[in-house]
Amino acid sequence: MAFNTLFKKDLVTETGKLTAKQRRFAYASLTPILLYMGVFTLFPILWAVVMSFFSYSPIREGSGFLGLGGANPFIDIDNYIELFTGTSKPAEVFRLALKNTFIFTALVLPLNLLVTLPLAVILESIGERFKTLFRAIYFLPTISSSVALVIIWSYVYAPGWGLLSLMFKAIGLVPPKSWLQDPSLVYFGVPLAMICVVIAHVWQDFGYNLVIFVAALQSIPKTLREAARVDGANAWQEFWLVVVPLLRRTVLLTSVLTVISSLQVFVIFQLLTRGGPKNQTQTLLLSIYENAFKFANNLGLSAAMSMVLFIIILTLTIIQFRLLRTEWEY
Amino acid sequence: MINPPPKRPSFAFVLGKSGAYAVLIVGLIGTLLPFFYIIVSSLKTTAELRQTPPDFFPKQPTFEHYTTILQDKDIPIAQNLANSVFVSVMRVVITLFTSSYAGYIFAKYHFKGKNLAFGIILIQIMIPFQVVMIPNYLLTVKLGLIDSLWALIVPAFIDAYGIFMMKQFIEALPAELMDAARIDGASEFGIYSRIVLPQMGPPLASLGIFTFMATWNDYLWPLIVLTSPEKRTIPLLVVWFQTAHVSNQGLVLAASILTLLPIFVVYIFLQRWIVDQATSSAFK
Repeated sequence: MAFNTLFKKDLVTETGKLTAKQRRFAYASLTPILLYMGVFTLFPILWAVVMSFFSYSPIREGSGFLGLGGANPFIDIDNYIELFTGTSKPAEVFRLALKNTFIFTALVLPLNLLVTLPLAVILESIGERFKTLFRAIYFLPTISSSVALVIIWSYVYAPGWGLLSLMFKAIGLVPPKSWLQDPSLVYFGVPLAMICVVIAHVWQDFGYNLVIFVAALQSIPKTLREAARVDGANAWQEFWLVVVPLLRRTVLLTSVLTVISSLQVFVIFQLLTRGGPKNQTQTLLLSIYENAFKFANNLGLSAAMSMVLFIIILTLTIIQFRLLRTEWEY
Repeated sequence: MINPPPKRPSFAFVLGKSGAYAVLIVGLIGTLLPFFYIIVSSLKTTAELRQTPPDFFPKQPTFEHYTTILQDKDIPIAQNLANSVFVSVMRVVITLFTSSYAGYIFAKYHFKGKNLAFGIILIQIMIPFQVVMIPNYLLTVKLGLIDSLWALIVPAFIDAYGIFMMKQFIEALPAELMDAARIDGASEFGIYSRIVLPQMGPPLASLGIFTFMATWNDYLWPLIVLTSPEKRTIPLLVVWFQTAHVSNQGLVLAASILTLLPIFVVYIFLQRWIVDQATSSAFK
């Protein structure tokens, strides 16, 4: 008994001393990490926000901190006004790009779900060995270099002799002369080039959602489905009344993630269509890139564009975190 | 009298099963056909590549495009491969160290301001790269790193996802081991390096693989900060090929396949694990 109390007391003081030492260690370790975060994350964010209120070109000397001022004057919210109401070429391209980015996302999400959800249900129902094999192959495009995939798709969409044209001819259809370059080909208000990019992107990206849905389906307890069967549900009812409601949250969350990633697609637009034809596949990120690094006239305007993209993505991220926070138990 | 079990459901079952496999196989062909087409095309002669309409399969398969890009002195492919390997390895090593170390601090130490510090790190996840792309470029210019491979490494020292993943894992490790080491006189860093790190094989491996793949495939940032041909990474080489060698499609194809190859080799051995990891990290 006495020994026990003694021991306990010792441990308490020991722990007390250790905590001070541990705290010092933790602070010493985190200080460089946080300093680094300050320089490479926080500072660039603030810089981008501030820059979006300036007419800034790195070629001009400017004055003051970071060359913002003097020859690179503060112009209030003129960059934003220019983007949304201006008649200059970059502003007009930006508005087009904003629209195209929404069209792209609006097409990618349903097409992705249309492919991945049924495929996941089928995949989940087959034997373990084949399931692993199919899953591995479907996932292949997602781990591949986007640049190499664009080369692949340039072969698929090559006019005349591309894989897709050959397939059209093989089944007796007449392929369009050009898949990616004819601005006059518009179906249901969507340019053909955009449809082609959507298909290529969904092909490249569907593996992610597929494996997530398969995992979600597998995590639904067998007992729930069996209970439904015992209560007299057939396979169809079991799927719609048991599986679908339990899958709702996963689908919702995956959809938000898909939208966020669709807004940030770059390689395929820059290399496969180069924003064309006639800016029909010009997107937000491509305009930001071209304005900042190709034309490089007013980086403030590019920064303002990136802020618009940021606000859209931030809103979606907040929705995503809200969804993540709602606990769900089977 | 008991009715015999009806035959029809089993027929429907068989039909359903074969229908399921039919859909899966169509999907499989759709996924693999584009890959397959450029692989067989890369084995065609230049004359065959220009032929219209093309044949699907090469008449006389040849590796000439591969030997050309690997041997042509004007194409610094060895240098470009070395660049990609260097950047990928450096980023993997640094990310594994910083993530596990910071993850350990956040998982096992209690101190004032911990939540704030963790919040600051999580900001990196919330901020899309495009938003800080322009200031990061200007910062890279100011640091004198433009057209240096370090421009790809220095801004990637800290990976918030990595820290998050490692923290989750280390939190589950029992504290007793660490306390025992402490009583034996181990330093705090010694606990990290000798007690915690040896138990972190699986999460470190998956973080390492994902960092490697992301770095190997990275395109936009290298495109912005690297300018000279001998500094290019492999994806930049492929793009340069595509714009400069339009007349010789075989070289573009061979270069693309060489880009895909290292990732495919890793994937063949680790596919099951990579897919599982990608799935489980999606919702954390």
